Amino acid sequence: MTGKRVFVSGVGGELGTTIAGLLEAESWVGELSGIDADPPRHRLHRTVFHRIHPDEHDRIVDTVASFNPHVLVHVGVWEPDARAAPHVAATLTDQAATSILGAAAECSALEHVVVRSGIEIYGRLRGALTRPSESAPIAPTSDWGRTVAAIEHTAAKVGERVGVTVGAVRLAPVLGPHVPSPLGRLLRQPGVPFSALADPPFAVIEDNDAARAIVSAARVGLGEPVNVVASGAITALQAARRGRRVPIPLIGPEWRVARALSFLLGAPIPDHVSEALHRGRLADNGRMLELLGFTPQHSTVDVIDRLYHWPSIIHQPARRQVA
Amino acid sequence: MTSTLGRVVNFPVRDTASRAGSAVSRAAADLNASVSRLTDEQAGVVDDWGRDPALVRAMIRAARLRWDVTVGGDQRLPRRKGALIVVNARTLALAPIYSAFALSEAVDRPVRFVGRPDTAPIGALARRIGGLLDHPDEVAGALAAGELVIMGAAHNERLRRVGRVDHSLVGAALAAGVKVFPAATSSNPIGRAARFEIGSPSRSPRRRRGPLTELELSDQVGRDIELLLAEMGNLRTGTPLDWLPLTGLGGA
Repeated sequence: MTGKRVFVSGVGGELGTTIAGLLEAESWVGELSGIDADPPRHRLHRTVFHRIHPDEHDRIVDTVASFNPHVLVHVGVWEPDARAAPHVAATLTDQAATSILGAAAECSALEHVVVRSGIEIYGRLRGALTRPSESAPIAPTSDWGRTVAAIEHTAAKVGERVGVTVGAVRLAPVLGPHVPSPLGRLLRQPGVPFSALADPPFAVIEDNDAARAIVSAARVGLGEPVNVVASGAITALQAARRGRRVPIPLIGPEWRVARALSFLLGAPIPDHVSEALHRGRLADNGRMLELLGFTPQHSTVDVIDRLYHWPSIIHQPARRQVA
Repeated sequence: MTSTLGRVVNFPVRDTASRAGSAVSRAAADLNASVSRLTDEQAGVVDDWGRDPALVRAMIRAARLRWDVTVGGDQRLPRRKGALIVVNARTLALAPIYSAFALSEAVDRPVRFVGRPDTAPIGALARRIGGLLDHPDEVAGALAAGELVIMGAAHNERLRRVGRVDHSLVGAALAAGVKVFPAATSSNPIGRAARFEIGSPSRSPRRRRGPLTELELSDQVGRDIELLLAEMGNLRTGTPLDWLPLTGLGGA
């Protein structure tokens, strides 16, 4: 397997750029192309980048169809309140999924599709499994969960119609120094709200580990969903203590006030993050090694510790005011 | 020859001293038992299932005030693999919980118990001390991950009888490819003495290809627990002194 043409959607995001960088180093990858509304975050040497907005359906179809990829890596998804407000994020994600997966279906060379999904897909209904495995029923209870479920559904339909394998990489909340994450922002606030009655555990994954998992999925031709979650778990209270933040215990109605205040402070709490703080967010990562041959380098606790060691934004005044 | 005699003959003074020494070391070991395990499990975080090692240690210390559990048969359990342990239980006796704490100390491994509710704050607290939902997939996931899991059989009002063993949870153990161990528990509503005795793994009486395996294995586990309870002794055996509730027998 050499000289494969790989197309990465969402290559402008931190995760997409890291994936493209890793794919450039893969021996089996021939040509590499990517698409996004924003340019890549790092310098990419081999990747041909196309700056196209998700609503430019015709341009996307032309670009993908002319490249005629063997492998499509679809990470062009917008997490609510990461880079866009929830309704905008849902619209952009839907547009990108429809256009890119639809265009890929028209490509005669297409052999394999990998889509980025999330463990929010399992939902946290009362009685839901503590650590759902890949075979657990899909019952999303948040906007983000429903969004990733829709992506998986679309990709599975495309795979079924054109006869290619489709793999879904269900990522835990992705944290990294440059990754826009509502959970990461919330945990880095000076005061961290947590559910005094439950304070449930959640797990995360570091951005580089997430990127390695997606590249592994493309390499091995993953043909089913897989949970990609760092080992271990942590609660919001424990995270706040590790980061020397002020834990703010909340019981019920004051969550509305906390959400509004957090929004004003620049760290909105979307429903999937709120759900993680109330009901927890874990998943069984037992098949990760078997399916991807991959183990995350960082545990959940490591990722949280690193979260608090990332430097804050340092504002440098201009040396000379020109306007 | 001298050295052989030296090993066989116990001098009274030395014997007393060694007994006192061993009693002190046992007491010290008991006191330090939870402390020594602090080095193994990281404090301030929870494990993959949301179990909080620090809270479990605190709960074990608190549980010692209520129960003084004697654990037997733990050497039968696999060293690294998972196992499902089925115990007899009665209402409000909390047998799966004190058994999980006692076994956790005996084998120095986290032990989960089945039957936590999914409502805060009780469910959240139960999860922190190793509780799992009463769901076959949840149990199968834990067993496949190499965890020791204790589940309680349904209560039977007749003494020394075991109620229904949930075959779907036993089926989860079969699906995960781990053994099912019967275990008898005995505690006292008034006294502290309690026993937890693990038997040899139960085997299905017949080789089946379908779901009958788990049904028959569940029934067999129930019978094996009844046998263990009978081996523990009946309420009215021994001297009349043994019939008193303070002896620790009865109340199975």
